[in-house]
Parts: sequence; C-alpha cells; structure tokens
Amino acid sequence: MANSTKQNPLVRWIDYRLPIFSFMAHELNEYPTPRNLSYWWNFGSLAGIMLVIMITTGIFLAMQYTPHVSMAFDSVERIMRDVNYGWLVRYIHMNGASFFFIVTYIHIFRGIYYGSYKSPRELLWMLGVVILLLMMATAFMGYVLPWGQMSYWGATVITNLFSAIPIVGNDIVTWLWGGFAVGNPTLNRFYSLHYLLPFLIVGVVMLHLIALHQHGSNNPLGIDRKGPQDSIPFHPYYTIKDMFGLAVFLIFYAAMVFFWPNALGDSQNYIEANPLQTPPEIVPEWYFLPFYAILRSVPDILFIPAKLAGVLAMFGSIGLLFILPWLDTSRVRSARFRPIYKWFFWVLVLDALALGVVGAHRPEGWWIVIGRAATLYYYFHFVILLPLLGKFERPLPLPVSISAAVLASHRRPGTVASEKA
Amino acid sequence: MMRRTLIAGGLIAALVVAAAMPSRAQEEETPTPPKQYWSFDGPFGTFDRASAQRGFQIFAEVCSQCHSMNLVHYGDLERLGFSPEQVKAIAAKPFVNGKKVADIDDEGNPIERDARPSDAFVAPFANPKQALATLHAIPPDLSVIVKARAGGLNPLFGVSGPDYVYALLIEGYANPPADFKPASPTSNYDKYFPGHQISMPPPLSEDRVTYADGTKATEEQEGRDIVTFLAWAAEPTLEERHRTGIAAMLFLVSLTGVLYAGKRRIWSDVHRDEHDKED
Amino acid sequence: MGAVGAAAVAWPLINSMSPARDTLAAGAPVDIDISHLDEGQQIVVLWRSRPIFIMHRSAAELKPLQDPQHDRVLRDPNSEQFQQPDYAKNWHRSVKPELLVLVGICTHLGCIPIFTPDPGGNLGADWPGGYFCPCHGSKYDLAGRVFQGVPAPFNLPVPPYNFVGDTMIRIGENPPGSNYDLSSIEQL
Repeated sequence: MANSTKQNPLVRWIDYRLPIFSFMAHELNEYPTPRNLSYWWNFGSLAGIMLVIMITTGIFLAMQYTPHVSMAFDSVERIMRDVNYGWLVRYIHMNGASFFFIVTYIHIFRGIYYGSYKSPRELLWMLGVVILLLMMATAFMGYVLPWGQMSYWGATVITNLFSAIPIVGNDIVTWLWGGFAVGNPTLNRFYSLHYLLPFLIVGVVMLHLIALHQHGSNNPLGIDRKGPQDSIPFHPYYTIKDMFGLAVFLIFYAAMVFFWPNALGDSQNYIEANPLQTPPEIVPEWYFLPFYAILRSVPDILFIPAKLAGVLAMFGSIGLLFILPWLDTSRVRSARFRPIYKWFFWVLVLDALALGVVGAHRPEGWWIVIGRAATLYYYFHFVILLPLLGKFERPLPLPVSISAAVLASHRRPGTVASEKA
Repeated sequence: MMRRTLIAGGLIAALVVAAAMPSRAQEEETPTPPKQYWSFDGPFGTFDRASAQRGFQIFAEVCSQCHSMNLVHYGDLERLGFSPEQVKAIAAKPFVNGKKVADIDDEGNPIERDARPSDAFVAPFANPKQALATLHAIPPDLSVIVKARAGGLNPLFGVSGPDYVYALLIEGYANPPADFKPASPTSNYDKYFPGHQISMPPPLSEDRVTYADGTKATEEQEGRDIVTFLAWAAEPTLEERHRTGIAAMLFLVSLTGVLYAGKRRIWSDVHRDEHDKED
Repeated sequence: MGAVGAAAVAWPLINSMSPARDTLAAGAPVDIDISHLDEGQQIVVLWRSRPIFIMHRSAAELKPLQDPQHDRVLRDPNSEQFQQPDYAKNWHRSVKPELLVLVGICTHLGCIPIFTPDPGGNLGADWPGGYFCPCHGSKYDLAGRVFQGVPAPFNLPVPPYNFVGDTMIRIGENPPGSNYDLSSIEQL
C-alpha cells in the first residue's frame, strides 16, 4: 500500500502539504504490533467505532428532536413514527449506548487482567479513565432527553446527590438545575452538553491513541517486544482481524436493534415525565447499576452522613481506577504469570456483576448485605490486595520473548499460546 | 480459554436473569399475567391486520370515551390497511366521546370542526384536570401504553406489556376477594393492577361492540383485538423493523463468513512462519 | 492580571446557568384559599415546581403528636435539625396547630410521600397516621417528623408561609420579622 500511494501524483501533492497519507502509512504499515494479540484486543477498536456510530446517529437525531419539556417526549415519538428510518436511527443510538459500555467495560477488564496500565502506559490508562468518566456523564445526560419518567426522576435523584456537599451543596444543585427543580432549563443545558461532550471524548481518544503509539500495545504475555521477530505490521493483520471482530459484534448489536430494541431499557420511560408522580422504582440504566449499588450501600460512617459517604464511595470507586498503576506493586504485567492475582481478577469480575444485580433491587433485606460486602470487596481488592500481592506473590517464570513463546506453543500443543487466559 | 469464556458467559447470563427478578413486595402480591401468543411476537412477527382493525373499532367505540391517543393521527390508519377514502370517513366521524377538533374560524374565534386525516385522534378531554373532575381519575394516554407496562413490546424474557394489558382487561376483574374494600367510590378490583384498586370499570364484555367484519365479539376476542391495535399504535414501524432486521442479519452473517475467511488467509503466512521455524 | 481577566470572562457564563429572571418570577409566592379544606383533608399545591402539602389537622390528629411515647419512635422529635423556620419550630411544626404546611418531598431521595392519615391499616396496628413514601419505605408523622429506622435522614421541610387573613395562606412569604430562606435548610 505504501508504494502505490507514493506513486499517485494527487496523493503526493496532498501529502507534501499535509502529510496525512504518509502518516496513515506509517501508523498502519510500519507501526509494530505484537504478533500474539488475542481477540480481547479487538475491543478498543470496537469502542472507537461505537463512538463514531453514536456521534453520527446523534447528529441525525438532533435534527429532529426538540429540547423543551412540553415537546421532548412527543418529538422522540415523532422520530419513531413519522421520520423516515427515524425508528432505526433512534434504536441504533439508544442501544448503541449500551453496546458502547459493554465493549468499554470489557476493554477495561482486559487492561486490568494483562497489566496494560503498568509502566510505561500509566498515562494511557488514566486517559482511558477520563474517557470513561466523560462517557458516563454523556450517557446520564442523554437519558434525560426523551423526558420519560425515568429520565426525569433519575435526573432528580442524581442531581440531588450534589446537595450532600457540605455548605455549598444546595446552591450547587440550584445552579445545576437552573431553577428550583429539574425542569426546562435543566433539559436544555443537558441537551447542549450532551452534544458537546462526545467531541471532548474524541479529543481525549486521540490523546489516548497517541499515548498508545508511543510504546505500542501490550500483549497477552505482558512482556515487551524485543525485536522485529516479535511483531507484525498492523495492516493487514490487525485491520482484517478488527474487521472480522466488528462483523461478529455487529451481529449481536443488530439483533438487539432490530428484534429486542427495548430489552435493555426501562418500560417506565415510555411514560411522559410527571413531576408529581414518583415511579415505584427509580433504576438507572444497567451500565450505572454497580455504581448505584455502591452509592446506596454505604451507611452513616462516624460523622459523615450516609448520603455524602455514598457519593464519596461511588466517585472513589472510579478514583481508585485512576491510581491503579501505583496501587499494583507487581513487576509482572500479565495475570497469565500471576497465579494468585488471576483468581482475584475473576472474583473482581464477579464482584462487579454482583454489584450490578444489587443496584437493580431495592436496598432491603439481603440486598443490603450483599451490596455492602461487594462494595467492601471492591475497595479491599484495590487498596489492600493489590499493593500486598505484588510484594508476596511468586510469579511464574516469564518467557524469554514473544516469538520464543509463540514458537514453543506451536511445538507443544497445549502450552502457552493455546492455553489462553 | 473457550471453557473459561463459556463459564463466564453462563455466570453472566445467570446474574442477568437474577437481576431481572423483581424484588418489590408489590410483585409478590400481584400475580404474573399468563403468557399470550401474539401475531407480532418474535423476529418474524407482524400485525394481524384484521385483528388490529377490529381493535381500532373497539378503541373508537369504547376506549376513546375516556382515553386519548394523542400520538396517532387518523392518516396513520392507512398503515393498518384502510383506504384513503375510508380514513377520511373515519376521521370525519367523531369517536364515541363525540368530540371534534378545536380550531379557529376566519375571524379568529374558537370553533369545533370535523377531523381530517392529518389531525391526531381527538381526545375526550381538553386537559387532565377536566378528566379528573369528570372521572375522579386521569386515564392514561394509550399511544404507547403497551410499551410502558411490564416488559414492553417483545421483551427478551418475562411478562410483556401486551400480556399485562390483556390480563388486566380480560381476566383481572373477575372474582374479587371477599375482603376487598374499594379505596374510593370509583375503585374496582383488578387482580393484575398493582395495589388492586383500579379506577377503570371493566370496559369489555361479550358483544360490547358489533364487529364490522362479522367476527363474533367474545370478551377474549375483544381483548386480543384491542391489544393488537394498541401494539400497532405503540410501534407502527414494527413490521418494517423486522423485515429490515432479517435482511441485515443475513447480510452480516455472510459478511462475517467472508471476513473470517479473509482473516485466516491473511494470517496464514504468520502462522506458517511459526510452523516453519520448528526444528 | 491574566487571572482577573479569565475570571471576568468566566463569571458571566457560570452565572448564566443560575435560575433566570423568568424562572425566579415563576417562583413567586402563591395564595391558597383554605376555607373549604375540611378537617382530616389535605390539598397539594405547586410552589416553585415543588408539591406543598397543606393539611387541616383535627384535634384528634393533633393529640398523639405531643405524646412522649410517640417521640421515641422519631429521629428528630424536637426539630433540632434546621428543616423549618423558627415560627414552625414547635410540637406542631406550624404557625397554627390546625394547619400543617410541608414541602412534600421525601428527604431521602426526593420521591413524593403518600398521605396516609388513618391509623393502623396496611402499615401496622401502631401506625399513628402520617405520610408513607412508596420508594424506599420512609415514614413521617402528621407533623412531618421522620421515624427512626427508615432511610430518610430529616423531617419534611416546612416552606416559608404566612397567613394573610384567616382563610388565606401565602406560600413563599414569611410572616413579618422572619427572613427564613428555604434553600438554607439542612436538606430538601
């Protein structure tokens, strides 16, 4: 590909003035990628594609949506009924949020398992956490826009959280609302910010990719590339693999969009927002459930009231992710060579799922107990376990190099490469 | 690797099912509506046109006495198989509530006129307060009611909105318990309504309407027809969605196959190199 | 100097997000005629987009509020926490005992509690009558005081209000001599 682009005179003319073609050629052809990346490495590109899909569908929805409390719900229904393919654009956008979070969560857990956050990729990791926070803010505001019961009451509950801040809490909430309750000013500003934030995400994603390309991708073995025998060019190997992964992903995504488009949502949101009628359950979308569980599981602690403690615990759980590179003291990256850490990783996955289930239920009876245990485990895992494990765990011997390990696995089937994860 | 992924996937599926189990006390008191089979169920579902048209007749002659359906326009009925002439005639004849469209005449004074196909279904009340004053309750708008109840239209699992609405209308009113105390003079017992106190009196009964197509109007028939109509009203584009979905799935599956073959071919030299280097 | 300039640019933008003049005007005081409000009844009016409960308490309903046994099941029986103006910091949490005025928003997570004035019933034999929040089960008595052992942390707030005549109350305005501001309470 590099040669053919350089021969085309138009390409050469443009490239001389704005070197996008040689930039692309370098990043795709010459950029060395570990030869042993597994399918767990597809999820970064899937997340990037989801961002593009969300922005595209979002822009077309924005052409038809009206951000006023008396018209928002009806404008969405008009999109569903009267706008050509409006139902399709809306359902792609609505389910796209869920799928964006699915691929992002898998992408994050991949990083946690293989130690992708360790030196020299700490900034890459932290930029990723920033992207996650921006995604959460964007998704929260986006859910308010259809102005259903869950939109309104979810917004009320979550904005009310800021009143937990001592002294200035109530004033901050009034400022956030632009009024005395969630209302038209709130809806309008959420629309404005929901349109803005994805473009901030694009910017941070670019920084994320620049940081990635500095030192290249991690790999399932967690060891550095030693030389050209350890790597292959990104194109065509990972371009085709990413495209194949995308096609598989699209099968699941399309199945939801076309056949079960409301399965991940809450039917209550098809009732127009009514400030005078509280729904029997106020539940956020599934991707927020673990955080909602943490928020509601914290009781009064010493002199800190439960509400403030819950808010701190919830934001703290993401804050811990930020400092993960420094919490994990192990010198070994990949969990493949960390036999004890490997088990605790899966406990963490189960813990996150358990928190999600707890978040979907009322905080009563056994759910409170499980929620508190799961929150405690989450904090224990990051604050106590990781720093200690690095010191006391005896890792398995690392392979000499990536290519050596791959060769070894081909010689003896049932070893390193075939025994994935 | 595969085994572990499968175990993980199984665990996740189990947890998702657990999450879907309702926990509120209300759910334990309110029985689960029985599962019904609808023409619009499943990936190949469509709207039984004849049933939906009969359902529209029920809406026009029974439900519209109290309920609005503000998001459906008379012209939309063409999607149900009515001809443009039929639609014009339907629009011009008021529903059982007798209301016409509020408009202004050439001097700017408020008047009432017959509906046109481009108008939305005329509501029985001008605003919720009027409904409350007349009925001592506010009947919900029915435009998306089956999507707004239980699991909505076509859930992955659990009770669907149509199942809930059907059960509430057809089975729920029967056999109130001996100790049932109405909370207000307008309360009725319904087994499936949360709290069991519903302001709507039983709207359907045998031969409540005389179907234009001659079908026998048993209570169950009326229930199935009105729910089919409500499902159409909630999502008239359902059939287009299903058709497009099947085409999309066929395309994506073949695309996946092609790309998989391409991936294997492109990677064959990498894997071959690794084999070749064996001694 | 750069910082001053930056602050000067930022302030109008930030301040524009605070409630606008029309929003504030919509929050002006409302006059409510209570002459037709019978004993034991409640009406709900909107002031500043919030539901305000106005209840006419009978002598029978007022009596249990002073019972020390009843105080024991309450989290804050003497309204120590700042959820009401001084003129409502008393055992009936109101200006006149027979008229209760509350902001009808549960102090837990903002749902609207249900008016449940009849003793006993579904809430148990020792339910004295009051408010029950359907969202997470918080309970308040007929003075808006929160029970112990429920998620809500504070008593239901009392909004600023004043009698203008015997049968008219003005929600949003204090009696002369008070400058109570609803946003200064512990928590809505």
